[in-house]
Amino acid sequence: MNLIEALRQKRDKILALWVERTLDSYISSGFFKQSRDKFANPVGTNIQEGLTTLFDMLVKGAAAREYAGALDQVIRIRAVQEFSPAQAVAPILELKWVIKQVFSTDKECKLLLPELDSFDCDVDRAALAAFDLYMECRDRLHNARIRELKSGSYILTDSSCASAAIKQNLQDFSQMS
Amino acid sequence: MAVVKVDKLAKSVAQGPSLMTGSVPMKDWMDVPAVFKPGNYAYPTKPEKLEYLDSQDGVSFPNAREWNPEDDDWKLPEDWKETIIQGLAERLDKFRSLKIFMDCCVRCGACADKCHFFLGTGDPKNMPVLRAELLRSIYRQEFTKAGKIFGRMAGGREMTVGVLKEWFMYAYQCTECRRCSVFCPYGIDTAEITMMLRELLHLVGCGINWAMEPVANSNRTGNHMGLTPQAFKGNVDFLCEDIEGLTGVKIEPTFNRKGAEVLFITPSADVFAEPGLFTCMGYLLLFEAIGLDYTWSTYASEGGNFGLFTSNEMMKKLNGKMYAEAERLGVKWILGGECGHMWRVVHQYMDTMNGPADFLEVPKSPITGTVFENAASTKMVHISEFTADLIKHNKITLDKSRNAHVKATFHDSCNPARAMGLLEEPRYVLSHVVDEWHEMPENTIREKTFCCGSGTALNTDEIMELRMRSGLPRANAVKHVFDKHAINTLACVCAIDRATLTTLMDYWVPEVTVAGVSELVGNALVIEGEKRQELAEGLRTLLF
Repeated sequence: MNLIEALRQKRDKILALWVERTLDSYISSGFFKQSRDKFANPVGTNIQEGLTTLFDMLVKGAAAREYAGALDQVIRIRAVQEFSPAQAVAPILELKWVIKQVFSTDKECKLLLPELDSFDCDVDRAALAAFDLYMECRDRLHNARIRELKSGSYILTDSSCASAAIKQNLQDFSQMS
Repeated sequence: MAVVKVDKLAKSVAQGPSLMTGSVPMKDWMDVPAVFKPGNYAYPTKPEKLEYLDSQDGVSFPNAREWNPEDDDWKLPEDWKETIIQGLAERLDKFRSLKIFMDCCVRCGACADKCHFFLGTGDPKNMPVLRAELLRSIYRQEFTKAGKIFGRMAGGREMTVGVLKEWFMYAYQCTECRRCSVFCPYGIDTAEITMMLRELLHLVGCGINWAMEPVANSNRTGNHMGLTPQAFKGNVDFLCEDIEGLTGVKIEPTFNRKGAEVLFITPSADVFAEPGLFTCMGYLLLFEAIGLDYTWSTYASEGGNFGLFTSNEMMKKLNGKMYAEAERLGVKWILGGECGHMWRVVHQYMDTMNGPADFLEVPKSPITGTVFENAASTKMVHISEFTADLIKHNKITLDKSRNAHVKATFHDSCNPARAMGLLEEPRYVLSHVVDEWHEMPENTIREKTFCCGSGTALNTDEIMELRMRSGLPRANAVKHVFDKHAINTLACVCAIDRATLTTLMDYWVPEVTVAGVSELVGNALVIEGEKRQELAEGLRTLLF
């Protein structure tokens, strides 16, 4: 059995542990793990779907752009939750630990552990892409704040009343002239 | 009554080695204090706004001060604890519903996974049952025999500064959308528990500026924006100029006109900010097309009522203004625009607060003769009901091809859907103005609709991340119809939705824009004598 065959054979076990550990980062994760309803449980199902696709793509040796959508499913959510940047993207790197964990419990797979270097590099690349994506999400968030401020809703909180503003303008004008 | 279930519900199943980053939580929820940091709380009320409101008749907002939720010391008044317990006692006495809600919950957990804040955060204190427990634990300790004797064993908890901080955190991580109530077998309205938490917090001067400044503005000039009568009129006139440029239709609306048949009231955001402006243009065109005898009011120039998110006295006062103005102008009835919580106030609270509005008539459409019996008491008709009735009687001409650029889905705004049962009318209108639109999945629409995540005065930019995660369940369903049907427009009937869903879509599904249903009506409307330009994007088209 070569490495790829072993990864395919242990796919379900690896994914189960990977998803479990990722969802463990939420305080009350029971529901996120149990509910399979895509619309009732968007965090749990998107993370499960995203990680599953990402794993299959990595095993297939896919290029970064091919798994961009899967990464997005996971990172876009974690970028707006109460995680530090490291915590938000940590699950991607966690895959290396998970695979080693699963392989160590199997006599045949254990022998393949030294061969994981190249696969680990692929995981690192995915984690780096996750950092890029995380930053893109944060930038989008800040731009949204700026847009809301510029769109005029700031008047709700930071403006004086219109007639006072007119009076002020007139005063400024008379001082100028 | 044992409370084991709550603990069980909230118990994390996190086990095994923690991540190097320390993101795996290992503590029980009771031992996790509320920690305030930038991005997870809305800014406190500015002292001058609170002082102004406290000086007004009929309302009380004491303890105005500068304070920062991130500080240990919140500068609470010395007798804060007595004030809170006394305030709770008064409310238990005044509101029978609160007493029942405190007693009848059996912690079945049906509501636990229905809240968009819980679904977006995984924080157990955002489960409606646990959010209510934050108050219920104090109620047990102070007002039940078992709690007084057995304390924590009977689910009681002492009122501490830590608990107060928890209240402030989670009373403002609830948009009072009432989705959880739909699933509660006892019909507990958790929104009303949040309302009580916010009222109690106001007793010690803890509130948020994004709620209180619009309230102060509304009380002073009649609308959230603080627009003066001339500025309000100027904005509507400006929209009429735009309409004339786009369609050749000249509209001259009236303001504060005594003797008009109908008073029209809509959220001030419709006259002031995109994309509500386009919805407002839709109203103006519709009224022109049917020759409605109506007037705007520059005093009742706000449909929204942030009093609902503040205190029952404040809500009553702001709601009363609309009816006082209707009486002053001598109109027969009130037509209301696309607003969310205005309709909750009108349908669920107005009658007992300020009603019955006997000086008005039961609304009757002057165009179709339809009598709106459903509004017999409040005398106020929703624009979607009014428009659907016009379409049903063939009183307006609509050309769907003018909305060829639109492929829509429809978001049921929480309050019209759950608080007044407005489910069919906007869908009926939508079906007559666009060629193609698709429903989102069944458990995310109608009475089970997911909130935009930014209601109840949480639509402020400093909590952008919080808004994005609480809006995830809504956005997730929109993404599904986008992926499946390539929709490009999210139609809705609420001003807060129009503003906040725009930002929500920008983060989660940037290909989708947000539009009011009346905007799409305005796009499709064929008006006699019009000289309509080629409008590739309807009323949003920029002409040079």
